Amino acid sequence: MDTGESVRITLRSIRAHKLRSALTVVGVVIGIASVITFATFGASVEAEIVGDIETSNAGNIYVFGTPSGDDDFDRTLQPVFTEYDIQQLEGITGVQAVLPRGTVQTQSVRHGDQTLARQQVTAIRPASINDGVLVDGRSFETDEEAVVVNERMARSFSENLTTGERLTMTMPDGGERNVTVVGVVNGTRGEVPVSEFARQPRVYVPIDPFYDSVVESPSAGVRQRAYPQVTLVVDPRAIPETQSAIQTYLSGNSDARSLSADDTELVARSGNDFVEEISDVIERITRFVTGIAVIALVVGAIGIANVMLVSVTERTREIGIMKAVGARNRDVMQVFLVEAALLGTIGSLLGVPLGLLVGYGATRYAEVTFSLAPLWMALAVAVGVLVGVVAGLYPAWRAARVDPIDALRHE
Amino acid sequence: MSESANTTVRVEGVSKQYDLGGTVTALDDVSLDLSAGSYTAVMGPSGSGKSTLLNLIGGLDTPSSGQVVVNGQDVSAASEAERADIRGTEVGFVFQTFNLMPRLSAVENVALPLVFDGWDRARRRERSVSLLSEVGLADRTDHVPSELSGGQRQRVAIARALSTDPALILADEPTGNVDTDTGAQILDLFDDLHAAGNTFLLVTHERHVAERAERIVHVEDGHIQSVEDVSGGQD
Repeated sequence: MDTGESVRITLRSIRAHKLRSALTVVGVVIGIASVITFATFGASVEAEIVGDIETSNAGNIYVFGTPSGDDDFDRTLQPVFTEYDIQQLEGITGVQAVLPRGTVQTQSVRHGDQTLARQQVTAIRPASINDGVLVDGRSFETDEEAVVVNERMARSFSENLTTGERLTMTMPDGGERNVTVVGVVNGTRGEVPVSEFARQPRVYVPIDPFYDSVVESPSAGVRQRAYPQVTLVVDPRAIPETQSAIQTYLSGNSDARSLSADDTELVARSGNDFVEEISDVIERITRFVTGIAVIALVVGAIGIANVMLVSVTERTREIGIMKAVGARNRDVMQVFLVEAALLGTIGSLLGVPLGLLVGYGATRYAEVTFSLAPLWMALAVAVGVLVGVVAGLYPAWRAARVDPIDALRHE
Repeated sequence: MSESANTTVRVEGVSKQYDLGGTVTALDDVSLDLSAGSYTAVMGPSGSGKSTLLNLIGGLDTPSSGQVVVNGQDVSAASEAERADIRGTEVGFVFQTFNLMPRLSAVENVALPLVFDGWDRARRRERSVSLLSEVGLADRTDHVPSELSGGQRQRVAIARALSTDPALILADEPTGNVDTDTGAQILDLFDDLHAAGNTFLLVTHERHVAERAERIVHVEDGHIQSVEDVSGGQD
C-alpha cells in the first residue's frame, strides 16, 4: 500500500480526534524537550569550560601532590617543591618555563580607608604575567614592592582600584607593607584550570621579596623556598614526552618526593588531562540527567501505545472494511504504524525547538555560551519516531489480526 | 475442466463448522456453481447459513472442508495474504450497512481497493470518478459518507465493489437499510450492471428482491433445499 495513502488516512484519523492526539503529542514533546534541554545545557557547559582551558593552557603541565587514590585537585597542598626541584625541572628537555606558585598569609588588605580581611594573596614569578592576561598596566619585577590584582579584586573596593594606586597589606605578625598596584589581570599564566571556575578576588605578589615558606632541601642541604604547586610551560609539540620526563623526575629523587608523605602522589598533569577529566565529569552528569529525561520519553511512548490501542478498538469496523476490499495484514499494520510514528514525529518536531529554547534559557541563566548538540537533536528526532513506531507495534499487530467478519459486524 | 472457462464460482462439497462451546454446523456439504455473467439470489431465514456461504465465496472465511474456486483461484487453499488479494481483485462486496470508511470522501472510498491493488493516485482518482458518475453520483465525489443519503452511500459502495473490475459482485442484503423506493433503484442499478456483463450473487430474505435474479438458491439449516429458476419472470 502506498505510504501517501496511509498518511492521508492517518491524518484524517488524527484530525478526527484532535484533543486526544494533541495530548498524546504533548507527552512526547515533554520527553523530547527534556532530553534536548539537558543535553544542550550539558554540551554548552562543557564547551565553555573546555574552550577556556584549551585556549589558554594548551602547553601547560601542572605539578602538585595529591593523596593517593584521590584524583581530585586538592587545595590544601603542602609546599614540597623546592628551588632545587625547580632548577632540575628547568633542565628537562622541552620545558620552556617553570612557574611556581605559593600562598602568602595576610591578615587584611587596605585601600584608602577600606580594609578587606583575609584576602587571597598569591606569590608568583613575573613571568606568570604576560600580555595575554594583562588588562591594564604591567607585570611587577622581582624585588619590586609592587603587586598585580585581578579584576575581581580591583572591583572589591568601593573606590575601584586602578594602576598606580597604593595598597597596604597587613602581615600575620602585624607588620604592614605598602605596595603599588602596577597592573590588573584577568588570570595568570599557569593557573590550575579548575581554579578558574571559582575565580576569587586575588592579589599577586612577586615571590621575591614576599614569599617566605622555606624548608631544608634534602638534595641541596640548605634551606630554600618551597612551593605547593608548580606549572611548567612546555613545547606544545612534545607534551607527552616532556610530561613523562617530568613525572619520572618527580617520582624519583626529587625533593618533593622526599618531603611528601608516602601516600601522597606527585602528579604531572597536562591541560589536556584536565580537559578530559572535566569533560568526562560533565558528560557523566549530562548522561545521567538526560537518562532521567528519557523516562519522560518512555511515558510519552506509553501514551502513544495507549491511544493507539483505543484507536484500534474504535476503528475495528474500518479494519474490517479495509480487509474486505483487499487490505493485507501488513497494510492494516502500516496504517496504524504510520499513525503512531506520525504522533511521535510531530512530538519530536515540536519538542526539539522547545528543548532548545529551554536549554538556551538555562545557559543564559547559568551565564555560559549556548552551544548546540546537533547529534543529540538528530538522535531525539530519530528516537521520537522510533518511540512512536515501537509504541505502535503492538496495537498495529492487534489491528492486523482482527478477523474481518467479526470486524464488519462490530458496532 | 472444460466448464471452468465460463464458471466464475465453483463451490464443491463445502462444510463449515464453528466452535462456539459446542460444534455448530453452518453449512453442510454444499455445492453450487455460478457461471460468468449470471445473477443468483440466495434466500433463507436468518441462521440458515446463507451469509456463511457468501463469506466463504468472498474469501472472508475458509471452509472446514470442501473447495471454493473463484475465477480459477482456489480460495479454500489460499494463504491469508492471497485471500486478501482475491477479496481485493476478484470479488466486490456490497453490504447491508454500506461499510464505507467514515472519514474518506466518496471518491477515496471507491478508490480504496485500488490502493491495496497498487494503483497510482492519478489513475485511482480517474477510475473512481468515472465509476461514481456511472452510478449517478458525479456531483458527490468529494462528500464524506455522513453527507450522503442511504441510497447514495449504497451507490458509493457499489462503485467501490466495481473498482477493480472483479469477476463477481457479492451483495449481502443490499436493500436492507434503505427505503423501498431507494431499494428498487439499487436493484435497477444491479440489473443494469448485470446486463453489462457482471456476475452477481445476492443474499436476501425478501422474496421480491430475490426475484430480480435469474435463479434463487433456497438455503435452510446449512443445506441447499432447492434451486428455483426465475429468469422467465424478469422483464
